[in-house]
Amino acid sequence: MAGSALKRLMAEYKQLTLNPPEGIVAGPVDEENFFEWEALITGPEETCFEGGVFAAKLTFPSDYPLSPPKMKFTCDIFHPNIYSDGRVCISILHAPGDDPMGYESSAERWSPVQSVEKILLSVVSMLAEPNDESAANVDAAKTWRDNRARFNEIAHQTVRKSLGL
Amino acid sequence: MPVVLLERLPLPSLRTYVTVSVLLTSCAIYYAHLAQNVALGRISDPSSTQTNTDGAPKTPPTWPKTSEGYFYDKIAILIGEGWCVWALINMAYCCLILVGKLIQRIVFGKLRVSEQQHVKDKFLNFMFYKFIFIFGVMNVQNMDEVLLWCTWFSVLCLLHLLTQLCKDRFEYLSFSPTIPLSHHVKVLVLLAVIQTNCAFLLLLSVFVGYVYAGINIFAFMAAECILLMTKSMYVIVRYAIHLWDMNHEGVWENRAIYVYYAELIFELATLSIDFCHHLHMLLWGHIFLSMASLVICMQLRYLFHDFQRRIRRHKNYLRVVSSMEARFAMATKEELEDNNDDCAICWEGMDTARKLPCGHLFHSACLRSWLEQDTSCPTCRMNLSDPSERTTQAPVTGDINGNEPRPDAQNNDLQNQMTNHFFHFDGSRYVSWLPSFSVEVTHTQILGNGLDVNLAPIHTSQLDNMARQVQEVFPTVPLSSVVDDLRMTHSVELTIENIIEGRVTIPPAGFPSRTHQSLLTTPASATTPPPGGAVPVPMGSGSVPVLPSQGVNLLPSLGGAAMAADETRENGADLMDGHDGLNEPGARNLLLFGDSKEEPSAMYGHRFSKSAAERETMLGRRKEHMLEQARRRFASRQLSQGCVDDNSTSYASLDHQENLYPSLNVDSAIRFTSAHVPGSEASDGQQDIANSIRERAYLAAQRRMRHN
Repeated sequence: MAGSALKRLMAEYKQLTLNPPEGIVAGPVDEENFFEWEALITGPEETCFEGGVFAAKLTFPSDYPLSPPKMKFTCDIFHPNIYSDGRVCISILHAPGDDPMGYESSAERWSPVQSVEKILLSVVSMLAEPNDESAANVDAAKTWRDNRARFNEIAHQTVRKSLGL
Repeated sequence: MPVVLLERLPLPSLRTYVTVSVLLTSCAIYYAHLAQNVALGRISDPSSTQTNTDGAPKTPPTWPKTSEGYFYDKIAILIGEGWCVWALINMAYCCLILVGKLIQRIVFGKLRVSEQQHVKDKFLNFMFYKFIFIFGVMNVQNMDEVLLWCTWFSVLCLLHLLTQLCKDRFEYLSFSPTIPLSHHVKVLVLLAVIQTNCAFLLLLSVFVGYVYAGINIFAFMAAECILLMTKSMYVIVRYAIHLWDMNHEGVWENRAIYVYYAELIFELATLSIDFCHHLHMLLWGHIFLSMASLVICMQLRYLFHDFQRRIRRHKNYLRVVSSMEARFAMATKEELEDNNDDCAICWEGMDTARKLPCGHLFHSACLRSWLEQDTSCPTCRMNLSDPSERTTQAPVTGDINGNEPRPDAQNNDLQNQMTNHFFHFDGSRYVSWLPSFSVEVTHTQILGNGLDVNLAPIHTSQLDNMARQVQEVFPTVPLSSVVDDLRMTHSVELTIENIIEGRVTIPPAGFPSRTHQSLLTTPASATTPPPGGAVPVPMGSGSVPVLPSQGVNLLPSLGGAAMAADETRENGADLMDGHDGLNEPGARNLLLFGDSKEEPSAMYGHRFSKSAAERETMLGRRKEHMLEQARRRFASRQLSQGCVDDNSTSYASLDHQENLYPSLNVDSAIRFTSAHVPGSEASDGQQDIANSIRERAYLAAQRRMRHN
């Protein structure tokens, strides 16, 4: 299967390089292994993550695009939909079969017409609008709901940290 | 597995092991030398044994034999002495390991972690089962026989491990588009060598079986060889297909079929040979009441399950293929030309394609592999499961009361649910691992749920989804009415009821339901990469710029940006009025990157190099650039917050941000962009001054931060 996956990833990489969406850079770090990408995502403007540049690792399965890739932030990020180890929990990354939170409709989930670009844009919108109903990081969800000022403060720290300042 | 304990054992490094082995062997040889001399002394001068033992003459003049004879003598002495034999065996293993290591160095270079782990696991597993075989099944008592079997299995083990390495490495190499041919050649040569060795071992087993040991031993040995041969052959075949595909321009539509059948045949062959092999062991060994039989039975059970699973998968495959061929016709030439788009699954052009009832076209092979795991259109999620299959399932009253139905099932069987309020979902009919269950939904229950439980504010993305579901049933009802009703009911079922019973106010036909239109067309547009790529998605467009008059706030959790792009393209004119040149990349950069004079994406973005190394460095540079830009912006924002007298209008100040947060809607997006407009309107001279001020301020801010 890896052959077709490789071709598709190459096509996506090319598209992401030629027409990069704003605030997103993504590609395989080491072309020896085309199935591991690193993505940099700029925190969406007008949110508490504004200005941060967050690094994430994307790991593609060998039957991509039939199965979704896995995404994991490699920097610290405090967000209701991101596990404390960095794994991202959004519906677009879930295969139609599995449903960890037991509420997602299949319409939101992975399908082969999705792409890296769409995943990353979804993640950007997830950063802008956390979904505290399906919290992956309960702590973060709680803070986000009950103590917004504290959440913003933490977010600001992560932004600063992500920039290496 | 018993390997857990073994892994904890501190194994000596290869270097120490080799040194010890060599020392041990030389000791043994020296000992043999001494012993031989003693013996020689006895022969040459039987009268004076005493002098010979302490004198030990190196080359006695009366040497009775040739050097060859001398050598054989020494061997005889070595074999005669117990510990010398062990030293020699140890040395042989040492050599084998060194040979293996050498081959690994030459062919594979440094092993990756996963490869190392695989090899280790495989090795320990192999050891365990062969130990069982030798002492449990064959019940070998004689030392010589044990030795022979050990030799046989050691060679096999080496070949097995090398095959495993080849397989892993092949999978790894197939992950990269830029592998020099020499790598492939090396692995292929090694595979060929393994094949030849297998053939040789097979011949040996025929010989041994024929001459000495009889048919049973022959069968045992041959089975091992054939197993190994199939395994390495499989890798070779996969390799050939892969290399052919890589050097083949365009789409090779039948590739998937070849790969699938190669995998099927080799997997079934391996499993059945292994199964027969183990069965033979169990029956031949007369060992029904021993630990060995238990282990073999476990293994048999495991193999049988694997076999069954594989057959089931194949049946599913055949079913999918036949139903696909029966129900989805090949697209005609005109349809292909009309569509004029790549396959959304593999992003390659289409010469032939199958057409789904919803009008979407895909390659046969791509569609098939998707249908194997899901039964909806990849683009629009239309349910494609065979209606004839569903009607055969008798509706069963449910017993799972607390559990929510699986959403996909809910989606699939919405129509069923509508009419009789309970449905049965037999997941294993579609994919083996899906569960089967049935759920009863009664009207009163829904009402209760809707009124008591779901009062919590409903999330926009959920709303969007529910609206989609409702619209699948009633495509004629405009989305806005559906959403309005959903806001009240919070339940798909209730809204559907409401629509059926006419409680939903449907606006007059003249009302332009544009959101509805765009929502439904979103998936279609999502398949096509936006032409020209200059999609005017403002950064932070987490929210969709839906016109407020439409009153629908959609959270784009699925392809949100595509939706945004779609909307923006449609409503481009409206947005453009507000901010001139938002569509232009340069202007966009000005807006988004505040004070940047360079255009980041223009500098690095618009070239896709052919060479891998160049691509890597370009990517690295783009990342650095982005980070640098972000740092600058961050610093200048800090600065504008710090200085009160600065024209803080250019940057959104924190409290301003706080007010808007978290409702990131169109208004804020517009306010944000327009806040930046003054900067872009400034004349060049002013901007230069402003830039130099910012530059200095940036440095100052950095200094201040360092102090902190």
